[in-house]
Amino acid sequence: MLNEMDTNNPATTITSWVKLYSDNLFSWALHKTSDREIAEDLVQDTFLVAVNSFDKFEGKSNPKSWLFAILNNKINDHYRSNFRHQTTNNTISLDEYFDANEHWRPEETPQPWLVESSHILDNPEFTKQFEECMQRLPQHWFSAIHLKYIEERKGVAICQEIGITPTNFWQILHRAKLQLRKCLETHWFKI
Amino acid sequence: MKTLLDLLMLSCKKASELIDKQLLLNLSLKERLMLKIHTRLCEACFEYEKQSKLLDKLLLKHISTSEESQIPIQINIELKQKIIHNINPKK
Repeated sequence: MLNEMDTNNPATTITSWVKLYSDNLFSWALHKTSDREIAEDLVQDTFLVAVNSFDKFEGKSNPKSWLFAILNNKINDHYRSNFRHQTTNNTISLDEYFDANEHWRPEETPQPWLVESSHILDNPEFTKQFEECMQRLPQHWFSAIHLKYIEERKGVAICQEIGITPTNFWQILHRAKLQLRKCLETHWFKI
Repeated sequence: MKTLLDLLMLSCKKASELIDKQLLLNLSLKERLMLKIHTRLCEACFEYEKQSKLLDKLLLKHISTSEESQIPIQINIELKQKIIHNINPKK
């Protein structure tokens, strides 16, 4: 592979990488974003960055890891800007879940789940349902969730990065988790 | 007349908020105590707390630690051709 590399013509080398790795990169981006169009854009951007910064690559790492590192940065940037662009809608209503006395509405009251615990994500059918429920979240909340869980870092640092108060941020996470919980209960745990 | 318990009793809405607030911020001693009392007495919020923690685990596992090798491969020939076309503009 490396001896094929022609540093005078990055396009030739990168074309061979597109042939080898674009499906892997696309599958990863699709898994991370659950959106075909966005995933395609991110992979295209990844190869554009690769062309433009080819001189920084210098064969130091394996091309696949290098491309994945670029793609993962692109994915995080995507969620950050996605989040920033949609922060106008500030009021988060919980009326759907709680009545005027702040009790759970009868149909929203959490029911006990029969959980085979941590192995549940090894079940492809559950994972599929989990992803479907994630996709139903508004983009803004989905981005917040992604930014919170991408690394298990303390949330306050993320808040500074994306310019939101911690209170506002946990309220969004809370609202998103209420919806996710309900969705899983309805489509998985109730059956 | 309000008893001490009434003063320390949270609503379900507040209790569930505190459960997820802990994701980002530390709760005060009073908040922790109030939450503990509430979840001991309220079955729905007790379940919510358990499920919220399970969701944290699932989200963390799903979002941060998935392995590239475990993802099913999606073939996308059009994308491949489009990118090759874009990085070789003369062709």
